[in-house]
Amino acid sequence: MSLPGPEPQEVPLVDAQEVQFWMEKAVGAAAGSPEVQRDTCLHLGQLRVFLQRLLTHINNMSCTTEAMRRLPFLGQLLGRLCWMPHVTADAVCRRLLLQSMWRLYSEEPSSPVEKKANQWIRSVLRQLAAGDEEDAVTQILVEHATVPPKQYHLKVLQELVCLLSEEVGRSCSSLSKPSHRCSCDTMLAISETCLPLVTCPEAAPLIGAMLQRTATCVRATLSQHFLDAVSAAYLRNGLSLESEAVMSLWCHSLPSLEEAVMSLLDRIFTDTCPTLNTIEQQLAQSVLPKACAHHCSLFLIVNDIFRSLLQQVEGHQSLLSVVHSFTRCFLREVAQLQPQMRAPMKAFFPSTPQQLLQPLLVLPTEMPQEAWKDHLTWIVQSLQRLTEEEEEEESDEDTGTRGQRGVFEAWLLLVQCAHWVEVAVQLAVSPGPQEDREPPLWLLTFFHHPTNRGHHRTLQLARVREAWSQSRSLLLDPSPLATSGPLQSLAELLSLQAQPHPLSPRLVLGLLLNLAVLSEEPIGRAAAVVQTVVQRCRLVAEALCVLSSVELRLQDRSSSHANRGQLRTSALRDALTHTDVETC
Amino acid sequence: MEAVLNNLTGAAELLAVARTDAVSRWDARALHRAFQWTRYCQRVHSRFRDKRAIRAAMERRLRAANDGLRAAAYFPGHADVTFADLSRCERALLAALLGNPALPRAALGSLLLVAGSSPDVGTGENGDGDAAGHCAQLIACKSACEVLRAARARTAAFPGGDAEVQGVMLMETLDALLGGGRGGGGEEEGRRGGWGEEGRRGGGGEGRRRGGGDEEEIGVGVGGGGGGGGGGGGEHAAQELLESMLQKSEEEDNVILVIASALRRKSSATAGSASRGFLLNWLLQNDQMLQKMCSRLPAEDMMSQVKDNADFRAAYCDVLRRWASDMTFDIQGGEWRPAGTTAGVSFKTLTRHFRALFETCPLLREDVETELKARKMADGDFDVEGLSVWGDLLAALAK
Repeated sequence: MSLPGPEPQEVPLVDAQEVQFWMEKAVGAAAGSPEVQRDTCLHLGQLRVFLQRLLTHINNMSCTTEAMRRLPFLGQLLGRLCWMPHVTADAVCRRLLLQSMWRLYSEEPSSPVEKKANQWIRSVLRQLAAGDEEDAVTQILVEHATVPPKQYHLKVLQELVCLLSEEVGRSCSSLSKPSHRCSCDTMLAISETCLPLVTCPEAAPLIGAMLQRTATCVRATLSQHFLDAVSAAYLRNGLSLESEAVMSLWCHSLPSLEEAVMSLLDRIFTDTCPTLNTIEQQLAQSVLPKACAHHCSLFLIVNDIFRSLLQQVEGHQSLLSVVHSFTRCFLREVAQLQPQMRAPMKAFFPSTPQQLLQPLLVLPTEMPQEAWKDHLTWIVQSLQRLTEEEEEEESDEDTGTRGQRGVFEAWLLLVQCAHWVEVAVQLAVSPGPQEDREPPLWLLTFFHHPTNRGHHRTLQLARVREAWSQSRSLLLDPSPLATSGPLQSLAELLSLQAQPHPLSPRLVLGLLLNLAVLSEEPIGRAAAVVQTVVQRCRLVAEALCVLSSVELRLQDRSSSHANRGQLRTSALRDALTHTDVETC
Repeated sequence: MEAVLNNLTGAAELLAVARTDAVSRWDARALHRAFQWTRYCQRVHSRFRDKRAIRAAMERRLRAANDGLRAAAYFPGHADVTFADLSRCERALLAALLGNPALPRAALGSLLLVAGSSPDVGTGENGDGDAAGHCAQLIACKSACEVLRAARARTAAFPGGDAEVQGVMLMETLDALLGGGRGGGGEEEGRRGGWGEEGRRGGGGEGRRRGGGDEEEIGVGVGGGGGGGGGGGGEHAAQELLESMLQKSEEEDNVILVIASALRRKSSATAGSASRGFLLNWLLQNDQMLQKMCSRLPAEDMMSQVKDNADFRAAYCDVLRRWASDMTFDIQGGEWRPAGTTAGVSFKTLTRHFRALFETCPLLREDVETELKARKMADGDFDVEGLSVWGDLLAALAK
């Protein structure tokens, strides 16, 4: 029956050339041509898009009869694609193919076309899944050993993966004998034909072996398509790899390393104010610190990414914490390496002012606590010399940029080794003469305000001193908070709008919270002070972050001193979260 | 036991019903239960396969069930279910369902694990016996195997996979037949009885207990098993297994590959070494097979057998000797070729076998070289290529 009027729907739904392309591929694949198999794998992405489009069309049809009329090639095309193992091995293509077949299967076939379609679909699936391709030996053994078909095929798959992994993993002597022809030449082709298996869990050992093979032989190039697919699957948790394999992947695919770093940062920053604990957990889960410890080149790239991010977003506190945590994990991994496997630290930090490298890399726990003060003073003096040189050279155009870069690199190293910044806070709030406090306060100012734009460092340093003394008087001052003079001054220092070059709230909060934890005053007063200041300046999230770093530092130690500190931090946390509820 | 036997009747009925219109009423739950049932049957098969008395009772029960189903008008063209069929019950059910026009769309969706087919779809993980995605998983697994075979064809002579798995299955089966592999049931005790009077008595007693005093069952257990209860029953059954593999296989090479892969498996268990010994013995008695195996497999693959087993080493040396004596020199081509009376190999391959032998057993080298020299002497001791295969072998090995 034909409807009157034009039928705008009757334009071809699918590009005939594309249909033709896949029909021809199917014919070539049926003939077992390795070239066609390879080509199929390289076009899988295109096929997925095409099949998704077909499925959408099928879903829009009222019935199978209509689908067959509008897409007359459908049966033939789907049928042929089903017999291409490189297509059905791909998880997405397989899902789309099966979904299309299922959509075409009529619940109550009403026409001969639909009956035929139903029968055809069942028969294709039956041949694919339960086809009687077993030879006599298989049958006899299956019966004797009672291995159900599904397990049998799974075992064969695992065995094939194992055999191929062994072959791929066999070391090759081409390095010692350059003229020797090795089987590595075939790696490119093998990596391409294995493209559909990238998300197949059973094939993961093979993928890992291929990635690692490349490290031993120059001829064993892996296809870029393969590396991209592996990288995407790994990032989306569609493929689990041994850490060695992941490291090889990154060594061979720079984009995949960059993606891994960026997706790690994305994961960390989904939390607006991630605690150091969560950052460390995320970092430990990623293989990045380990990979960087093993491969200096990877560390340099990751470091470059951090460097350029830090330049773009000045003062991003969470990013500073990530860079610090990352370096902590990295140093731990380096320490675990065999001495002969370790590259010299100089190689990891080539552009850092070398006189600072060792003094900053050393961990505070690696020296007696009494030595901290002198060590920190030495670091501060070196940094001061660098910044003075920078200021002197700034007038000279040739050396000016070099001087700035030196200071930036020194600051970057300080960010990476922020354990010394933590020591500085601790020394700044410890009781002692005023002159002992100068170096730590200078270091804190430099850490939070490295660029010294407009030569305000002296002014900022003066404000930091003021913040320290106001915080201290506020904690000691027994007068009611509402009328407290120090409270007013502190709030002004924390207010971002009040001054042309405001201090970093983290810096001021760091001093206040550390003083509150260490002070001998009753916790009730300290909590009330912290609560009022933070509430007035709306800095709850920042304060909680600072507090979590104090907690982490206290966790690292076990003493009665630390226990007291932990009790006080948790009381402060309670007060702050209480504030949070009130202000919300 | 009666409950298990009744379940078997149920299994036969299930496979029959799966071919009828009744399937149109099957929902995801019914499908799930049906697949669970087939898994149960596979377990029953695996558990009682080697227990002849019980197996015979099961076969009788299945025959009765088949008779009943054939007689019922409701199951036209019923295909009998045998005890052996129980080993691949899952597959039979899947084939029956996919062959059935009454298969409802929802059930098909469940087998394919497609989105929107049933509420529990999309959870991904599902157990072995689950119907959900059964068909899709089989397709995924088989396709992956095909892809890897194609990849392996680029690097290896035998794409393999099947032979390796079958080698393991063969070893497991032999372990079970030769004792020790599976937990001792009554029948296995009975079989081991062939090696000693005491064992035989013990086995008989166990069989009687298991059979629940049923005289007929014991009769089958002892007498009807093709020597199962008699002397060396396990070995006999193992022998039968290998013979039937040879007879039924269209490609002898397949059997050779399976045996070679079975021998490659390292097994420290006593059962494993018994099976290994049995296989090697079988090869030694089967000269044709031994020669074929030596000619089909790379020399390196034979070496672990050569190293570990003195009898096999002697037989292997004998095969090499025969290959060499069977060679004639092709004057036009300028090389030694097998004359064709044995399953010989090329001169190059023969040299490789000797070289591999020397590498594996350095102590043997002197003896073999002395023998080759003696044979060269017998041929006239000329240092001219093409006159004595022994002389040319020595020359090739000296390179």
